[in-house]
Formats: sequence, C-alpha cells, structure tokens
Amino acid sequence: MTRKRNPARLVLALSVAAVLAVFLLYTSIAGGTTPSLRPSQLPGHDGRVSLAGRVVGTASGDSHSAAGLRFRLRDVEGTASVPVLYRGSKPDLFRVGRDVVVDGRLRRGVFVAVPNTLVTKCPSKYAPSKG
Amino acid sequence: MAELGRAALVTTLGLVLYAALAGAWAARTRRRRLAVSAQNALLASLGTTAVASGVLLSALLRHDFRFSYVAAHSSRELPDAYTVSAFWGGQEGSLLLWLLILGGFGSAAVLLQRRAGRDLLAWVVPVLGGVGTFFAFMLVVVASPFGTQVAPLDGSGLNPSLQNPYMLAHPPLLYLGYVGLTIPFAFGMGALLSRRTDERWIVATRRWTLLAWTALGVGQLLGAHWAYVEVGWGGYYAWDPVENAALMPWLAATAFLHSVMIQEKRGMLKVWNMLLVILAFCLSIFGTFLTRSGVIQSIHSFTQSSIGPWFLAFLCVVVAFSVGLVLVRLPLLRSRTRLESLVSREATFLYNNLLLVALCLTILWGVIFPILSQAVRGEASTVGRPYYDFFLRSFGLPLLLLMGIGPLIAWRKASLRAVGRTFLWPAGAALVAGAVLVGLGAGSSRPGLIAYTFSVFVLASIALEFARGTAARRALGRETWLGAFFALVARNRRRYGGYVVHAAVVLLALGVAGSSAYGSVRDPQKLRPGESLTVGPYTLDYLGFRQQRVVNAVELRADVDVRRGDRVIGRLHPGKNRYLAEQQTSNEMAIRTDWLRGEDLDLIADQMNPDGTIFLKALVKPLVNLIWAAGIVFLLGSVIALWPDGREQRRLAARYEARGAFTEA
Repeated sequence: MTRKRNPARLVLALSVAAVLAVFLLYTSIAGGTTPSLRPSQLPGHDGRVSLAGRVVGTASGDSHSAAGLRFRLRDVEGTASVPVLYRGSKPDLFRVGRDVVVDGRLRRGVFVAVPNTLVTKCPSKYAPSKG
Repeated sequence: MAELGRAALVTTLGLVLYAALAGAWAARTRRRRLAVSAQNALLASLGTTAVASGVLLSALLRHDFRFSYVAAHSSRELPDAYTVSAFWGGQEGSLLLWLLILGGFGSAAVLLQRRAGRDLLAWVVPVLGGVGTFFAFMLVVVASPFGTQVAPLDGSGLNPSLQNPYMLAHPPLLYLGYVGLTIPFAFGMGALLSRRTDERWIVATRRWTLLAWTALGVGQLLGAHWAYVEVGWGGYYAWDPVENAALMPWLAATAFLHSVMIQEKRGMLKVWNMLLVILAFCLSIFGTFLTRSGVIQSIHSFTQSSIGPWFLAFLCVVVAFSVGLVLVRLPLLRSRTRLESLVSREATFLYNNLLLVALCLTILWGVIFPILSQAVRGEASTVGRPYYDFFLRSFGLPLLLLMGIGPLIAWRKASLRAVGRTFLWPAGAALVAGAVLVGLGAGSSRPGLIAYTFSVFVLASIALEFARGTAARRALGRETWLGAFFALVARNRRRYGGYVVHAAVVLLALGVAGSSAYGSVRDPQKLRPGESLTVGPYTLDYLGFRQQRVVNAVELRADVDVRRGDRVIGRLHPGKNRYLAEQQTSNEMAIRTDWLRGEDLDLIADQMNPDGTIFLKALVKPLVNLIWAAGIVFLLGSVIALWPDGREQRRLAARYEARGAFTEA
C-alpha cells in the first residue's frame, strides 16, 4: 500500500514554521532583553541594565523628591558596591540589609535608576509557593 | 522525638526503594506475589511518611525549639494556624509534604485503579517507588527536617507579610498540583514498560490529572488574588520565574487533558500524549529546581541551598529515562487511525495542543533565557514583561477562538457547509458585540477588542451547545426545561463540565484583557490635604491622614473622597501599617469595587509624610473581578467533570472486558 499523505504532518510542519515566524517577528520588532548584573559586573556597561544587590550603608533622601533617594548596592556575596540614585515609589520592604533589584544606567560612577523600578525580594525565610 | 522522625524517614526510604527494585523485578519476571509485596511496601511508606509528618507537626505545635526546623520557621507568639503553615514554610518541610502527598496519591491511585490491569499496575508501582526514592533520599541524606540543636528561648518566627490566610491554602494547593502530575506520569511510564499502550492508562488517570490540574489552577488564582489584595502593588501576575514555574506545568497539563480525548476516541497521538505527560511532570520538577537552586533571579527568594544540583540530576535522569523509553517503544505507539481532515474536532484539538505547547515553551525559553545568555555570552540577560505579553497575545488569542470553534465541529470530518450553519449564531453575536464595543470606544486597544469579541463568540457557542443539548433531551421525554438541563449535564459530566471550565477561561480572558488593556494608572503624586487627583472617570479629594495604635502596629490611614463628576460616591482609606516588633511596614491598599460598571478603583498610599502630605497612586482596573469569578466557575466546572459517574465506569468496564478477552484469546 502506498503511504497516504498525512495531514497531521503538514499541520506540525506548518505550525513549527508559524512559531518560528512569530519568534522572528518578535525579535525584530521588540527584541529587547535586559542584562541582569551584580554591582561588581557593572563597570563597562552604559546601557540599561537590571542591577541586583544588597542595600548597604545608609539610605538617605526622599525617593519622591527631585533630589531622590541615595543608597549603595553591594554584591550579595562580595564586596564591590555602587552608589544608586533612585526616584519614584519605594517598596515597603526596602531597608538597609535587604536584597533588591532595580533597573537603570551607570552615569559617571552613579547608577541612575529608572523611576518606579525598584523591587525588593520577598524575605527568604518563607517559601511562599512551593518547595 | 527527632529520632522517631529520622527513623520513620529511613524506613520510608527503605520501603520505596524496595517498591522500586522489587516491583521492577516482579514486573519483569511476572512474579505476582513479589509484585503484591512491592505494592504493599508502597502503601506502607505512606504510613511511615505520615509518622514523620506527625512528629514534625507536633514539634511545631509544641514549640519544641530543639528541632532546628521549628526554631527557624516559627515562634511562640505565632498563631496556631500559621504554626501549621510553617510545616511547608521551609525547604525540608516542603519536601516532606511532597513525599506525603506522593504517598497518598500513589497509594490511592494504585488501590482505586485496579481496573487498569494487573500488568500495567505492576509497572506503575516501581515508577512511583522510584520517584518516592528520590524524595525520601533527599529527606534522609541532604535536607533532613529533623536536625536538632540546643533549644533557643524562642524561634525566629514567620514573616508578617506572609502570615495571612492565603498562605495556608496557596502552597499546599500548588503541591497537590505538582505532585498529582506524578500519577499520570507513572501510569504513562507503566503503560510503556508493560507494553500496554492502548488508552487504558489514560482512562485510569483522567481524574487524577484533572484533580492535579484543578489544584494547580486554583492555587495559582489564589496566589494572584493574594498578590492583588495583600501585596498592594495593584497587579496580580508579574511573569516572575516562580510564577511561571507553576503556569508551565498547568499549560502542559491542559494540553494533555485535551489530547487524551483524541487518543480515547480515535486512537491517535499516542506518542504526543506520552511526551506531554513527560513534559508536565518534568516541568513540575524543573520548577522546584528553579526556585531552590537560585540560578535565576526572582522577586520570590527562597532558601537557597544545596538541593538544586540534586534536583537537576533527578530531572536529567527522568528525561533520559522517559524519552529513551518512548523511543524504545515507538513501534507500539503507532496510531490506529489518522487525521482525516483539517476541519474536524481532532484537528482543532491538535491546533489547541500546538498553541498550548508553543505558549508553554516560549515561557520556558523566557525563564531560562538568563541561564542561556550567561552560558553563551557570559552575561545574564532577562526578558521582560513585553516578551511574555507578546506571546500571550500571539498564542492566547487564537486559543480563545479555538475554544469556541472546537466543540461545535464534528469528529473525523466536518463539511464546511455544516460548519457555516453551526457558526452562524455565535459568529453573528461576536460581530455585533464587536461593533457595539467599537462604538463604546473599546477600539483603543486592538488586542483588548479582539479578546472581547472572541470571548463573546466562545460564550455564545457554549450557550448554544447547552441550549441544543437541553432541547434535544426535552424532545425525547416529558422533562421540564430545567430538568432536561440538569439531566443533560449529569449524563455528560465530562463534556459539560469542560464547557463550564471553558466559560471560566473566557471570564479570565475578559478580566485580564479588561484590566490590562483598558485600565488607567496615575503614578504617585504628592497631595496636600484639600488637593485632588483624577484617574479615569474618578476625582480623588485628599482630606488628610490619621494614625491609630493597635496591638502590634501603628495604622496610618488617609481619608480620600471619591467623586465621579460632582457627586461624592464614597470614601476610601488607603494607608500603611507599621509593625513595631518586626520593624516593618506594609501597604494597605484601598479597593473600591463598582459592580455595576465592573471595575475596581485601587488607591495606594505610596508615602505618608509627617507634614500631612502623601504620595497617592491610583489605578482603575476594569473587569478585574472577573478573574476571581473565573476561579469559582473553574472550580465548579472541574468538580462537575471530576464527579464520579457510575454509568461511565460500567460502560468502560464492559468495553475493557470485551477487548481484554479479545487480546488474550
């Protein structure tokens, strides 16, 4: 018996092609990925990055004022740190000693954050969703 | 006491290891008594795991801080309910809960599904034993919950922001879902190992898959509701890796639940179903690896520990074993029939599956992108919300449309003319709704408009199905409309339960589309008492704030009058709680739900200054409450589909007896 053409194969092939096409479309139009770095990796990057670290030293200023909130971020496991200037809303859990993630750019030695991008990590004592 | 717990776990490890090894040997050499013995070992392991869990639970409730785990995850003043939740509050307890649920599900499945056939079950036991062995090994060797120390005066407690009722239900439900996916996996592998590759394993595990899938879905919606109501940022889903870790297995299981119907009805897609069940199980293990290993940054940070590599190794073993097995048994997985037409029920199921898997894999790609880019370019990059939103729209909207098309198309081969006739009403309703929506100004967001229109289409096609079925039943006998309706659903629980779930998904789509595409946001703005802010149709007059001392906190509450036009329609009190002992602040968002317009107004006091000024953030979220309503409808539909059906059982039993006699003759 000769093998009949199987429409399922056609569907599979077409859909794989469609998914690839959508992917290409996405990367060509939107395409943005943000590097996520630790303070020690920051030198040499002048584009927008997402910076993760621990708040150290003192946090001074008002995040809603023009002068902004100033604090230092240090590698969670390490010593390299960078001063951060942040404006916008400040999460409740923000505090010295917390681990935070914030987007922004390095400008003349200061990490200038994009407003309203500061997020604190959930406290690590509890596993809210699973094991 | 700790020794008892440890001993119980070591015994469990012995039992599940025996179930795995003796069970495999028995199944291979067809020794019936040995197989029974392996099965009994599996059942007994549930008992010993329960003893270990009892020890941990009693230690928690007695505040026995000699247990390191108890000291690290609870404290004396913690209310009892949250002390219980500390059981799964840490890693070791989570693993124990996992093993306990696995034991419970495994035992129940093995006992209840005898009809699946002795030869199949003989292989299910060792597979379950193998999975259990991994978790028991972790608990005995790597992460014991029964470590002891010199008891401190008090434990270090549980974070206040997580002491809330959602956290009692959300994590265990997700566990039920994750662990529940082991059952169809074990039966699938059992079917391959025993060469019983007909649809028996699927019929046997249908309800288990449905149960796990329901728990996973409801668990996620509870998490989303918690995020919306308690966390106070005005959102409910952030595409965070940990959230995605729960979404991916759910999507894979959704695809599986649909594609098994094609195998049951038409004997096709056998390989595909095996791959889906493997994918769903592996994603649930992968999720654990992801959250525990700390390889990916997440806003949920978990206790990072040494168990990550173990999970990765286990995952590799599972993938290698299961995919290898599928390849070896490939000749047995030939389809009895093939797809006859691209316009048929089977075909729409196939499209639905491809879309679901595509969505699942693109999310997976986004989740592991940081690891991949780290490996390739030496620098971790993340994909953000736009990436996920884009793919949710690209794959989610066609899925929504298919949900309306699928149920109306005939099996095997549908004529285009018949399809046209069936779709006249739903398509007409959708077009009219679309035109009305454009008239109302919904055209401001194209994805939103498409989602709304498709939703109307799906709802109309579901309503049509119910109406037709009821009318047909009524024509048969002297039933009332209502009687005919209930009889219809009761006699076809799976089908109509499925339609109810579809309706829930539509509600979810409406809620997500409404709140994301048509919402308005005002970023925090400084207000002095007497000043106002407008958001959407609302004007907000800030009057001032006051503070009040309660038992463990200082509550700051602002008074904000909400106006629409000139009329004051209510007063809201967004604020903050300052917990004194913990030195923490939490946002207390104020929500005003307008049921008539179907929207929420959310106020967040971003900052409250001593001089009486505040920074107020305001969001209008249309239709967001449909998301929570969807959860209730989803549960209802799942319960209808899950409800035991004696008639169906008898029909299946008769079918297998007939076929069993045929194959053995």
